[in-house]
Amino acid sequence: MFGYGWLVLIAPLLGFLSLSCLGKRIPRSIAGYLGCATVGFAFFISLILLVHLSVLEPEERVGGAQALYTWIDSGQFHLDFAILIDPLSVFMFLIVTGVGFLIHVYSLGYMEHDPEFKRFFAYLNLFIFSMCVLVSAADFFFLIVGWALVGLASYLLIGFWRDKPSAVLAARKAFVMNVIGDVGMLVAAFMIFETFGSLSYQKVFEMAPTMFLANDMNMILITLFLLVGAFAKSAQLPLHTWLPDAMEGPTPVSALIHAATMVTAGVYLVARCHTLFELAPFTMYVIATVGIITATFAGTIAMVQTDIKRVIAYSTMSQLGYMFLAVGLGMFSFGMFHLMTHAFFKALLFLGAGSVIHSLNEEQDIRKMGGLAKAMPVTYITFLIGSLALAGFPLTSGFFSKEAIIMGAYHSEMGNILFWGLAVFTAGMTAFYTFRLFFCVFQGDLRTPDAHPHESPVTMTGPLVILGFFALAAGVLGPWVDSFLSPVFGGHAEHYQDGFLETIAVFVGLGGIMTAGLLYMVRSDKIEPIKEALAPIQEILFHKYYVDEIYDFLIVKPVKAISVFLEDMGEKKGVDFAVDQVGEQVREVSKYVSLWQSGRIRDYAVNMVAGMALVLIFVAFL
Amino acid sequence: MGQEFILLVSATVFCIGAFGFMVRKNPLIMFMSVELMLNSVNFLLIGYSNILKSLDGQIFALMIMAVAAAEVVVGLALILTIFRTRHDLNVDHLDSLKG
Repeated sequence: MFGYGWLVLIAPLLGFLSLSCLGKRIPRSIAGYLGCATVGFAFFISLILLVHLSVLEPEERVGGAQALYTWIDSGQFHLDFAILIDPLSVFMFLIVTGVGFLIHVYSLGYMEHDPEFKRFFAYLNLFIFSMCVLVSAADFFFLIVGWALVGLASYLLIGFWRDKPSAVLAARKAFVMNVIGDVGMLVAAFMIFETFGSLSYQKVFEMAPTMFLANDMNMILITLFLLVGAFAKSAQLPLHTWLPDAMEGPTPVSALIHAATMVTAGVYLVARCHTLFELAPFTMYVIATVGIITATFAGTIAMVQTDIKRVIAYSTMSQLGYMFLAVGLGMFSFGMFHLMTHAFFKALLFLGAGSVIHSLNEEQDIRKMGGLAKAMPVTYITFLIGSLALAGFPLTSGFFSKEAIIMGAYHSEMGNILFWGLAVFTAGMTAFYTFRLFFCVFQGDLRTPDAHPHESPVTMTGPLVILGFFALAAGVLGPWVDSFLSPVFGGHAEHYQDGFLETIAVFVGLGGIMTAGLLYMVRSDKIEPIKEALAPIQEILFHKYYVDEIYDFLIVKPVKAISVFLEDMGEKKGVDFAVDQVGEQVREVSKYVSLWQSGRIRDYAVNMVAGMALVLIFVAFL
Repeated sequence: MGQEFILLVSATVFCIGAFGFMVRKNPLIMFMSVELMLNSVNFLLIGYSNILKSLDGQIFALMIMAVAAAEVVVGLALILTIFRTRHDLNVDHLDSLKG
């Protein structure tokens, strides 16, 4: 039915292969355009798929898995390389290739002076390909393949500036954390195959409701292991530490991978496997709880960070927490809706931050910025839109998606006042830290006297404007997202109306913005006393609750100690010693054996004749 | 010409060859000894070919002679080169392969 669906995958793959393998035969001048073109083409195909799906009857939209070829055929195990074209995967295609395309264009300007321009575009294309594999997989096998591939692309891109030690360390950390998740996914896949005898979504999702009752131990275990993967990829507690560090990569990477697309893979996974998760209400409860705790946790940290990208990174974690809260409460389409609006406004904020960093010569400390509104009008306005959307200002896209989740936190089946309270509290914090960042960067006076801020080139401001438009207006797509995805989720998510709670949420958000304005615009002399009064809390938050230090103490240090011990006792005194001894003994014996090898031809002749005589005697008499 | 005679002559010639190969130090003489051994086998093959009234043995003998001739060419060339470089043809002195 969707015979051309594979074009979405093949275009970025070809882009990656040609950029990385053809070397100098592709001149630098067209490498960037080639990278953009492949993603643009993939986006175009995704749009065609969208139109194609829209004209079908809702029941015909799901289950469009098509095998491209047989990958493994071994006994009872049969595995096709298949892609699944249904509303959910096309929805993800559109976000990945659409936002991805804009970020590719932005990178043309941002990476213009980088000597390894081409490698950058090759990696970006690889990422788009991997992400498309992830979302179009029709079975758990290729889900894991895509899962690992995006991990690889993320690793390569975080460590893109490979002569910067902090970037390389951050890349390694991200990779290790993600591999923990991959192992969880693998275990889940093994258990699924053991239980259902198949890895294909269609079969598993058909069989699961007939085989298990709700909260069956099997289902809980499978979904919990899937969650390990989802939490690691989406930087939820306790596997979140890699995401802030991942900001060492170039800013377009942060926008593409660590805000808009890859980190939302965990939310996608829960939505895709909703049949399994719905059979395990316990796991759903875990998702919602971890989601809201992460949202609050990251929100508090974001309030005191001073690095522009880290503030946005923590807000990403926080917003991902909202998405998990939504899917955990069974409101899958709200989770996907927030995923979409978040992709727009968070990519916008990151790209805006990149534009600021670019014009201030790689300065990332917000305490040294300020007053950029005049020098960079386009960045200023688009950043304002992004901030409003993130803060959930009424009528921006973020308002609609977040409000739906916050309402559900109280009114949905599993919702309660605690979820709601934390969600509103976090919304207030979000508004505060977003506008703290905004005011610090764009208002007041520039605090670095020798800098000469300037507006970015049109390749950078263009994507900002387009994303700004969507960040502002995408809220109207809410009902469409819900109805478009409803065939996949088997029903609509209920949109709860509650004027009273809604008003509270709106006012908390506005209050956050006003507090930030009051503190950082009007009475900036009050900041220091407040800081001093809250010094102990500030200290804890600035050190991110010391989670890195705790992990270092609990895991890294003991592992290192064991490794040193094993290296000494096991390696040097055990294995090495044994191997050396074998060599030593052989040499000893050889000393005597080699006496036979006199080098004199006549000795050899005698030995040969004697040997032949022995053989003859043996044959003749025995 | 009985079977015993053929076997006896062949064995005698082979032993002479083998003995010569083991005790002589001059590579040329050793070469000749090798040829003696080869030809003792040829003799055997041809003798039996006559007794069994089959041409197979003679064909084998021809093959062996051809191979031996080729081998001699290589061997003589080697000996000549060794003599040119070392001015010494005592095989007992050629022990650089000693282990």
